[in-house]
Amino acid sequence: MKRKTLVVLAVAMIAAAQQWQPALPGYSYEFPRDYFNHPEYQTEWWYYTGNLRAADGHRFGFELTFFRQAVHLPPAAAAAEDVVWRPDELYLAHLALSDIDGGNFYHVERLNRAGPGLAGISLEQRRYWNGNWQVQWNSLASGDQKLQAVCDRFKLVLNLKPEKPPVIHGRNGISRKGAAPGEASHYISFTRIAAEGHLDRNGKSAAVTGLAWMDHEFFTESAAGKVAGWDWFAIQLDNREELMLYRLRNDTGAETPYSSGTYVDAQGKARFLEAGQFSLTPGETWHSPRSGARYPVAWTISVPSLGLQLSERTALKDQELFTERSISPTYWEGAVTYQGQIHDQKVNGVGYLEMTGYRNAIRVSGHTPR
Amino acid sequence: MSFEWLLFLRLILRPLAREPIRTALAIFAVALGVSAVVAIDLAGQAAAGSFHSSLESLAGNSDLQITAPGGLDERLLGKLVQLPYAFQFAPRIESFAFINGKGEAVPFIGLDLIGHAAQREFATDTSAQQANLLSEGYPIWVGQQLHLRAGERVPLLINDTLRTFIVAGILKPEKEKVVERVIVADIGLAQEVTGKLGKLDSIDVRTPQGKPAVDWRTILGSTLPASVSIDPQGARTQEYRKMLAAFRLNLRALSYIALIVGAFLIYNTISISVVRRRNEIGVLRALGGTRRMILGGFLAEALFLAVAGSSAGLLIGRFLAVGAVKLIGNTVQSLYVSSQPAPIHLTLAATITGLGLGLGVSLLAALAPALEASRIAPVEAMARGREEYSLALRSRSVSLWALLLVAVAAILCKLPAVRGRPVFAYIAVVLLIAATAAIIPSAVYLLAGTTHHVLQKLLGMEAMLALRALRGSIGRTSVLTAALATAVAMTTSVGIMVGSFRETVRVWMNHQLQADLYLRPAGSPGADRHPTMDPEIADRIERLPGVAAVDRFRAYRISYDGLPATLAGGESSRVRDSDATTFLPGEDRDAILSKLPTGDYAVVSEPFANEHNVHAGSILQIPLAGAVRRFRVLGIYYDYAAGGGYIILDRRTLLKYLPDPAESNVAVYLKRGVEAGAVRRGIGRVIGGRAVMVFSNGALRRGALQVFDRTFRITYALEAVAVIVAVMGIAGALLAMVIDRRREFALLRFLGASQLQVRGIILCEAGLLGLLANAIGLILGAILSLILIFVINKQSFGWTIQFHWPAALLLTALTGIYAATVLAGLYPARTAVRMNPIEMIHEA
Repeated sequence: MKRKTLVVLAVAMIAAAQQWQPALPGYSYEFPRDYFNHPEYQTEWWYYTGNLRAADGHRFGFELTFFRQAVHLPPAAAAAEDVVWRPDELYLAHLALSDIDGGNFYHVERLNRAGPGLAGISLEQRRYWNGNWQVQWNSLASGDQKLQAVCDRFKLVLNLKPEKPPVIHGRNGISRKGAAPGEASHYISFTRIAAEGHLDRNGKSAAVTGLAWMDHEFFTESAAGKVAGWDWFAIQLDNREELMLYRLRNDTGAETPYSSGTYVDAQGKARFLEAGQFSLTPGETWHSPRSGARYPVAWTISVPSLGLQLSERTALKDQELFTERSISPTYWEGAVTYQGQIHDQKVNGVGYLEMTGYRNAIRVSGHTPR
Repeated sequence: MSFEWLLFLRLILRPLAREPIRTALAIFAVALGVSAVVAIDLAGQAAAGSFHSSLESLAGNSDLQITAPGGLDERLLGKLVQLPYAFQFAPRIESFAFINGKGEAVPFIGLDLIGHAAQREFATDTSAQQANLLSEGYPIWVGQQLHLRAGERVPLLINDTLRTFIVAGILKPEKEKVVERVIVADIGLAQEVTGKLGKLDSIDVRTPQGKPAVDWRTILGSTLPASVSIDPQGARTQEYRKMLAAFRLNLRALSYIALIVGAFLIYNTISISVVRRRNEIGVLRALGGTRRMILGGFLAEALFLAVAGSSAGLLIGRFLAVGAVKLIGNTVQSLYVSSQPAPIHLTLAATITGLGLGLGVSLLAALAPALEASRIAPVEAMARGREEYSLALRSRSVSLWALLLVAVAAILCKLPAVRGRPVFAYIAVVLLIAATAAIIPSAVYLLAGTTHHVLQKLLGMEAMLALRALRGSIGRTSVLTAALATAVAMTTSVGIMVGSFRETVRVWMNHQLQADLYLRPAGSPGADRHPTMDPEIADRIERLPGVAAVDRFRAYRISYDGLPATLAGGESSRVRDSDATTFLPGEDRDAILSKLPTGDYAVVSEPFANEHNVHAGSILQIPLAGAVRRFRVLGIYYDYAAGGGYIILDRRTLLKYLPDPAESNVAVYLKRGVEAGAVRRGIGRVIGGRAVMVFSNGALRRGALQVFDRTFRITYALEAVAVIVAVMGIAGALLAMVIDRRREFALLRFLGASQLQVRGIILCEAGLLGLLANAIGLILGAILSLILIFVINKQSFGWTIQFHWPAALLLTALTGIYAATVLAGLYPARTAVRMNPIEMIHEA
């Protein structure tokens, strides 16, 4: 079969001169400014994931992601109306619903330029949007947000209330991905967000509640050439503690020294975890019939300094975002559960797991781990 | 072998085989008639019927389309995409480009190539990687039929600017929905090069499932301003099809005339057969053959001719359609809409129509003589001697019938059109042709009775004999005359109509075109295309020495009440100062033009007024700039420029709602006594590198008349077919006459007539026939032309046409037909001369 090449692919492939700001140490965060966009950095994203439960106990997972990818720095002297359709920045978005108890996974993606209001990130309007997928900040102080996403299969509306302040990952304002200066990102998360709203599918509307997680990351350079993929964990434990852990892999599948994580205690205080302070061990794999990739869908997680032992499981093995024709890679991102103990205390949790680079190494700029 | 079959073989086929030429002529006449119908049907279908608005190409599988006169504000799209429903929106820019600035207009479509890609396989061949939307060149994707290669640089003329684009890829057809002649660019680029920054020509909408389309329209409507219309996808195609329907109907009607002429000839052929086989019929009847058997036999003969003729006609028609489609395509292009004729397909429907009409009309025409034959009493038929019909005896009552037909026709002409189609007027035309056919026997009698003395003196013995022969064979003669008269009438009526139209247009143009110079963007003009010029051009020309005034004109294609129309703005004061624009009688030109700039007023063209039943004082509701605006119609002016109809506002009024100063046309008035050449050179400098054409007044008029003449070529072609059919019929009938009267000619030869004299008799008969047919046809044609001009044209297109005799044209045509008729007598005359008198006498 002759593979059809998309016009868009060409657009995204353009590696423009590096005139954007790299993520450097010493960055000083400022909110609410840093909830929104940073045009001086080339790549930026906002991830919303979460585990939901309907009134009848039916479990769901959701993912809504907004990407901003700059391709060109806009010409300084261009008139405003001339640049409306200029694809200087591309806005990609992914929406996925994991119907855990129904055994279904559905995802859809969207690509736009800013255009006349097609997609964007705006502090002024306090929102991120790509068409009718959007997140509106109701309050910049409390962080209350309203998430809304519509596609041909379902409509999800959620009120999001962060229960802890944002967490800054990494050290000295950067989350490292590689050895070279600039091979890093600025990375923040809301690790515990109470979500309630409704999910409309098949002509029926169901009230849902649950726990969500939000990531925001921006950078210019990544360790794209050295990193073949990553495994990323969002862990929300029932003792109100959270962990974010990622493992970067090189071409041989071995872990690079730049894996790291963050532990958030019940009060919302964050502690940095460097690569040697935790271990992530893959277990059972799931073979994707579509992409041929083998994803380890079961993991064993250990953080000795916290006395933490967890095993990760998923009730829905197929949560692969498979895209044949799009500019985004195929990856696995899904709702998972955790079970284990902290210092002999039993602990359970929910969260999300993202695994990339199992189909083929990700080398497109802008897709390094969070 | 059954008896019936044997009968058919002996009574019908054998005589036909015995006279192959005459049989062939009859078949060929039917064939030509059918071929004209089929050719027009197929070509009309290809050029107009299967019309698919080229601007609606690449619409994907969207259901609705959002448009607004003068374009949509692109910010509407930003609002729409945020509606909490699973709509898919695809913004579009629609324009035309000329490759290398020449040739036919190619649709130039701007699409959101980034947003689309995620939803749709907008695939190209190979070079997509090299290409990108941001390269400094202007990347385009082209349809396969344009025969461009990826990577090729192509200069495209859009509006008044020639730019070089780069072919980034070749479009892969998407389920036959892609019009192959199309150029696609990204929407931002398309906005830039078409001068539509900030605007969209349409937004295609794919609605989610689960609700009826009406509900989705309501949802969309509630978010959009009132100035925006939401129509089902393909609405514009439907609009144009509707507009083209009248044009097609008239073309079809014209093609049926050839078939009617063919019907006369079938009638004639069967009549001759009946007359000739009276003896055989008598014998058959005496031996116990039933009437039904006789009727069946002759109908079978007609059927045989019809089947042979119609089948051949089908094939000939298929080939003629190739030529016809070009002619029709031209007309459609210059009067209505930019479109590419579809490939010609001999469809089942066209086949059935062609065969059905051919067979039906032939059988109907044969019914009368066949019935006549079946009523022949055996004894009477076996009596010796050649008998004619008793037509003459009944001619009085027939004339009464004719009068009745004329009266009914007159009433029908007063009736209004049925859904824009002049159905009653066409019935009136058919009735008038029938009435004419009915009075022809009397006319032949009258002619023979009153003129034989004169003719004898003028042309001698041959004329007298010819007259007698004509009078003697009145039944046959009158049918032939009717056939030829119908063809002549058609030629005359259409000739008068077109001639009148042309003269009307010429006079109108002399009034309309008052300026000295005209400017428009280069590229061939089209009724639905309104490319624009840099507004600076007009401003700078206005300041040139020698220029008295400049009239700026801007046109937009819009939909009005489900039909295409043109909304335009002109400078009323300029028009008032000149003599241009003539209003309907009784309207105060000065008052109208003075009031036009003072508010939301409009004047409309006559076709528009007719189509939409608008008159002075009517209110037009046009959605513009966010709301439905109401324009009071001040007057109706004559216009013959395009099929769709014009709504004209003052330029200032138009700019108030659509603030784009670029003009579609500019007229330049020079100061008195200024040398035009110097000003033209000045204008040339102003235009600079932009592709704008300057026409002198005379050149523009000549060009317009050329377009006019081109659009009527198809009607001339149809007339020619009808005339050829009729003339062939004459030849066939004369041949039959010669064979029937062979004993008579032999006798004449015995009595001392020379070969020359025998030939003279036959040519004289042909000449007399032609004369009579021409005279009757001219009268009938003049009457029909009145119906064409004042009823059919008015009801179909709404144009006021001043009656005008195109004397030279008619004289040429009628002389030609007359000459052809006489020439048609040559072959029969030769046959008569070559007969051996002795043999002939003994044969009987």
